Amino acid sequence: MTTDLVYHVAGAGLTGLALWRLATCRDALRRIMALNVLAIGIAMVLLASGFDAATGRTDPVPQAFALTGIVVLVSVTAALLALAERIGGRSND
Amino acid sequence: MSAALFGLGLVLMSLGIVFLFVAALGLWRLPDLLSRLHVLTKADTAGLALVALGAACVSGSLAALLPLLLCVVLVAISGATIGHLVARSVTRRETAP
Amino acid sequence: MIAFDIVLTLGLLACAAMALTLRDRTASIAAFVVAGLLIALSWVRLAAPDVALAEAAIGAGVTGALFLRSARRIGPITGGPVGGMSASIAAALGAGGLSAALFWAFAGTSGPVPYPPLVAANLEASGVTNPVTAVLLNFRAWDTLLEIAVLAVALALVVMLGPAPVVPRALGELVLPFARIVVPLAILVAGHLLWQGATAPGGAFQAGAVLAGGMLALVLAGIGPAGERIVRGALLLGLAGLAVFVGAALAAEGLTGRFLGYPAGAEKAWIIAIEASLTLSIAATLCLLFTGPVRRPHQ
Repeated sequence: MTTDLVYHVAGAGLTGLALWRLATCRDALRRIMALNVLAIGIAMVLLASGFDAATGRTDPVPQAFALTGIVVLVSVTAALLALAERIGGRSND
Repeated sequence: MSAALFGLGLVLMSLGIVFLFVAALGLWRLPDLLSRLHVLTKADTAGLALVALGAACVSGSLAALLPLLLCVVLVAISGATIGHLVARSVTRRETAP
Repeated sequence: MIAFDIVLTLGLLACAAMALTLRDRTASIAAFVVAGLLIALSWVRLAAPDVALAEAAIGAGVTGALFLRSARRIGPITGGPVGGMSASIAAALGAGGLSAALFWAFAGTSGPVPYPPLVAANLEASGVTNPVTAVLLNFRAWDTLLEIAVLAVALALVVMLGPAPVVPRALGELVLPFARIVVPLAILVAGHLLWQGATAPGGAFQAGAVLAGGMLALVLAGIGPAGERIVRGALLLGLAGLAVFVGAALAAEGLTGRFLGYPAGAEKAWIIAIEASLTLSIAATLCLLFTGPVRRPHQ
């Protein structure tokens, strides 16, 4: 039992949870949130696979991927939320 | 000297964890939102301050103390502001029909 | 420490499950924000402090604020789940299978990882000593350039959709004093993160996110960018990051003949200059993504 195995399990669990929610949920906001959880689960699997338990260091290339992913994710979330508001929101609040 | 400082740090951190535990217990057991906020903002800030002070003692360097102090000050300020905002929104909702 | 990892990931999975199943929107978003902070802790445990800094500021902070804003506008959850119980079970089986396959594919791989020795060997030539910054702005700067382009596209999309702007109105009496203390500190911390990104965890994304957090504190205190001129300036600043990055890439191409190949000996100056403009641009973009681009007068 090592650190990276625990996070492999957690990352896969987050991914599965998010995929299940994406498939069964009708609410737009909830789906966007599930997309966020999905991206985080994938990033966790990537980082766990780059983690070297012997040296206690993580491969910088997946780290750069995860960092890029976070920034892309927030911009995608903002764009999707603007679309969701346009579709289902009360107009001027 | 450094051993005494280390021991003091451990004692302070344990005390801080007790405070944080009491805050969590209060959040779980207290009946309404305002009393929960009361225990959360006070015990949380005190607990974090004690843990940070203990960590600074364990590390034993002045350079480590300053960022920890900044963290504690920021958490104290934002905790007070957020507590006020939450309480305000609740009292507004209750007074407005 | 393995016990801590297990408790942390269990808490994380519980928070994510609550965020995705609670019917009350505010409670669901609160669980999402807590999950974001626990994820930042997991990144620290996975020895990725750069990612942890960005996650705490962007994943938990800015994304949570975006969700709260939209939740208030869209209103409570209406309508039940797709299909019935059988559809839910089928989806759970499918998602569980995919998740198990993902676990098997990644956890099963072993053997030496190719990148760390390569990065370590070329770190000297990259101009910076933080390997993550070296990957982001030197070895794979092309990816980062495209990422900034994605930010610009998202900003353009939000501008075109024109969602209802967040009207600057003070949330409460304590928010303005709070912003008075936090905003100068946020500017200082952003500058520190930007500069230390060359040698230690930090960099343009973290600094930009912290700066955006400070700007949002100002907006929530009721002193948002009120004039149309200021909003237009912020929009230009948001797009300027991409322009500067592309300009630097072309200039480097002209000087060295390689796209984004910085001149030898001056790599650090190029990287810091690009990162400084990216910091301002990311901060302006994140702030505009939250507030909405157009300010109509408050009726």
